[in-house]
Amino acid sequence: MQKKAEITAVRQTSPVGKAVGTVLINLVLWVFSLSCIFPLVWMLYSSFKEKRVFNADIIGLPKVWDPVNYVKILSNKDYHLWQSMWNSLRTTGLSIIMIVLFSFIVGYILARIRFKLNRPLYVMFLMGMLIPIHSLLVPIYVVFKNVNLLDKWYTLLFPYVSFGLPMGIFLTEGYVKGIPVALEEAASIDGAAFSRTLWTIIFPLCRPILVTIAIIQIFGCWNEFSFALVLMNDVNLQTVPLALTQFKGQFASDYPKQMAAMLITMAPIVIMYFAFNGQIIKGMVAGAVKG
Amino acid sequence: MKKVISLVLALAVLAMSAVAFASTPVAATELEYKGDLVLMHFSTSEESEGNGGSDGFRTTIAAWKEAHPDINLTENVLANAEYKTQVATLAAADNLPDVFLLQGMNTIAWANQGLVMDMTDIISASPYYADYNTAYFTPFTTPDGKIYGLPVLTGGTCTIVIYDKAMWAEKGYDAFPSTWAEVEEAAEKFSADGIDTIAFGNGGQWQLNSDFVSTLGNRYTGPEWFASLIANTGAKFTDEAFVKCLTETQRLFKDTKIFNADFNAVTNEDAREYFISGDAAAFIGGNWDWSYITAVLKESNEEKYNNMGIAVLPQPADADKYPNSQNIGLGYAMAINPKVAEDPAKLAAAIDLCYELTGPAFSSYVAENYALGGLTNAGDVDLSKFDQQTQDFYNWSYVDTDTCEIYDSYLDSAIWSVLNTEMQAMLNGEIDPETVAADTQAKYDEIYNS
Amino acid sequence: MLDSIRPKKSTIYLYLLIPVALFIFTVFMPLVAALFYSFFEWKSGPVKTFNGITNYKLLFADTTFWASFGHNLYLVLACIIGQIGIAFVLVLFANSRLAKCQTIHRTFGFFPSTISAVCIGMIWTMIYHNKYGILNWFIINVLGRPDLAQVWLNDSAHVMLYVSIPLIWQYIGYYMVIMFSAIAGIDKSIFESAEIDGANGFQTAIHITLPLIRNTMLVCLTLCIAGNMKAFDNIYTMTRGGPGTASMVMAMYGYKVSFEQTNLGYGSTISVAIFVLSLAVIGGSQALVKRATRGLEA
Repeated sequence: MQKKAEITAVRQTSPVGKAVGTVLINLVLWVFSLSCIFPLVWMLYSSFKEKRVFNADIIGLPKVWDPVNYVKILSNKDYHLWQSMWNSLRTTGLSIIMIVLFSFIVGYILARIRFKLNRPLYVMFLMGMLIPIHSLLVPIYVVFKNVNLLDKWYTLLFPYVSFGLPMGIFLTEGYVKGIPVALEEAASIDGAAFSRTLWTIIFPLCRPILVTIAIIQIFGCWNEFSFALVLMNDVNLQTVPLALTQFKGQFASDYPKQMAAMLITMAPIVIMYFAFNGQIIKGMVAGAVKG
Repeated sequence: MKKVISLVLALAVLAMSAVAFASTPVAATELEYKGDLVLMHFSTSEESEGNGGSDGFRTTIAAWKEAHPDINLTENVLANAEYKTQVATLAAADNLPDVFLLQGMNTIAWANQGLVMDMTDIISASPYYADYNTAYFTPFTTPDGKIYGLPVLTGGTCTIVIYDKAMWAEKGYDAFPSTWAEVEEAAEKFSADGIDTIAFGNGGQWQLNSDFVSTLGNRYTGPEWFASLIANTGAKFTDEAFVKCLTETQRLFKDTKIFNADFNAVTNEDAREYFISGDAAAFIGGNWDWSYITAVLKESNEEKYNNMGIAVLPQPADADKYPNSQNIGLGYAMAINPKVAEDPAKLAAAIDLCYELTGPAFSSYVAENYALGGLTNAGDVDLSKFDQQTQDFYNWSYVDTDTCEIYDSYLDSAIWSVLNTEMQAMLNGEIDPETVAADTQAKYDEIYNS
Repeated sequence: MLDSIRPKKSTIYLYLLIPVALFIFTVFMPLVAALFYSFFEWKSGPVKTFNGITNYKLLFADTTFWASFGHNLYLVLACIIGQIGIAFVLVLFANSRLAKCQTIHRTFGFFPSTISAVCIGMIWTMIYHNKYGILNWFIINVLGRPDLAQVWLNDSAHVMLYVSIPLIWQYIGYYMVIMFSAIAGIDKSIFESAEIDGANGFQTAIHITLPLIRNTMLVCLTLCIAGNMKAFDNIYTMTRGGPGTASMVMAMYGYKVSFEQTNLGYGSTISVAIFVLSLAVIGGSQALVKRATRGLEA
């Protein structure tokens, strides 16, 4: 009770400063947030424009809201939207599960367990983040070709999981280091086995960071282009971003149509993101540990 | 509710139109092959909207599939930029598909590597050989005379001046000036009104090469110079004539008021919008830009459409060759992976596919529907059913002008990469033409003379 | 590190087996392959000619490559300050009691990093556009200074700045998300006692929040350096490295050499160099951070 009173006292010391602060802080936040959401809004209304209208005026609202772009996309079987959507869903879903699981295991072990290969492994995963994918496409293709891993439904899991791991591992490692060791010590005194401690005590504690990793990686996997382009030649296995290139011409791009296509394909994850936003944020915050 | 109904109706109409698309008759040659054949190309359905070559290509493929139901022709279709990346990767790993589109500038390198089949005999055995426009074969011919592909899609110019007759008449010009000196004079008048004289977009770095220098160079050097570069018989990028061409190019862009200020930052797609909207009195680009501009203006501004004129690039004061020339050609050819030959029946099928996609079925389709020409002569094209603009374009492209080569259909792509990158900086005045020429020549020597 | 937990070695290695094997195969095999190819003259196709260290000699003398490396360093610095710095400030703002609608800011901020680079590039090309761009419109009509309006992306001297701004903006939200979750892990009572002690927002941020999420901030730093040493997409859509090579970065140069110039041997050499240089930069930065924060830890 006394604590609360003291806090109130502190807060009341400078009402003018507080008012200025409130305005400033909210203004900055709103400017930033609106700039962030603008691309989505812009894509949304631009996708209802016709190509020529868009080219003549890229920023204005459409005078006629014409769904023709959506009609064209959904009705053309060459775009094989559903097949590619399914491919993307499967690849992304499996990749995320594996990234989160592996990041947790490796991240925890690197943070907590003393063994000879600890630092070498850490450095190795660090190196993984430094691979310049775009200039390495040919060697990647050759390696995958030599082990006959091209054009399989699971081909893309390899790069997506592997290149998603370093970030996940580092975030988990950093996070676990911030958790007090008391809990695990208590468990080990109780005689709980390593695996049980890992899954029943640590895993729930790490939920905020694991949710964060999942969210960042979902979009990364869903949008990934270079690997999908090089490793998948079979049209039936193409993921969404690759199928999207069907909307590009050699000398002319129909931007509104591309945007419509982008929105259609982004829709599943964006809707999911907004729909579960509450839970996601709760998940990110829920794990606060008392120190 | 109304919206929903119209949407459903539109979907239904589209679905029906997809079934009832136009077709073209292919020769139904007996083929004993039954099985898979993989074709990789970049004529996406997006591309084929408004692009006669792509439309004809896709239509002919559909007809061929129908004529050969026992062959499972798998198409791997990507947009052009992605196609180039993927095909380069496949070539590097020696894993090219059965049939694909070969770019002129890759011919020699890939032929040396054994990645493409020598088609010299196949071409002379073609049932349509008599009707081929053999000039189109040169980019796909190696110095020893072997031909590695059947040129495909439609031949179109890469350097065309499109202008608004009314705007120029207002400034006292009955037709587009034939010299740059006159254009400079006109630029003074146009800029007084806040209008760009000519819109150009070099944001992708390739445009200045394909749509400008490739033709302007011919005015200084003549075709012998470039032929000598291809054959590596002495011509150099550092030759005085070519350096003069670069110097003039730099002067026109850097020191005159002719072009839009952002020519280096916008693409040709942006620049042609300047012309369409009237912010620029003329535009320089390729045949694809002509298709786009005509399609837009026909629908949105009929008066401007009727006022559209086309012209060749003006002649510089210090150039004395071929003032009426423009660069035209076919940039890609149907090529076959040599591995296909292991199965003679399959090879026969692949060859038949190449013949048909470049043969009369294709040519007559694009001639009748778009007034365009391809490898095979489609006979006398009846132009009377096309409007004046289309007829003018056909005559300008195939009849009334001298032709020259498109630079980047030939030579190693690395050379053009150097030239294009440095020319962009040159237009800003950051490098001088001599250095650009010297660096390009150095790359040339590294590749062909080391 | 925890000493009371000492699981059997075999348990640990069993847990690590699959992720490590997967990682080595996918990530290092291509790199080893590139290292191998970097000693060959290879112009696509099956024919390769061993040429020793010629490619490396070429690389050392290649001014375009070293200029690109300089541009990458510029990006790294700009993005550490821009992305991580701004993200940290915004996170503090959004977590502040004075902020309204915190959920909205958390949700929206992450958005740009989810949109493909092509689209982001288009949006910014439009902002910078000479004739129709928002920036020039603002300068001319609001500031009334038409003399300041220019063709932004054709300004060789400053183009790196203009291409870093979109990159910074796009990834602020990405780091915000990471920092939010790190701060969420801090016990709230720490902040309360700080407030009672009379610490202002700035002091709390520097002396309490920052040290407590130090590990996460280090990860952000590493991610930021790694990401910008191999930057590619945004710049490719906006300028293709131009004008000339004024905004060329290493990965784009490697891509151009490999695909535009089909010089795969030299392209592999560049890839190897990018990797080694990035490693050096990260190593250097970590040593620097360790030295700088030694006092803090004590």
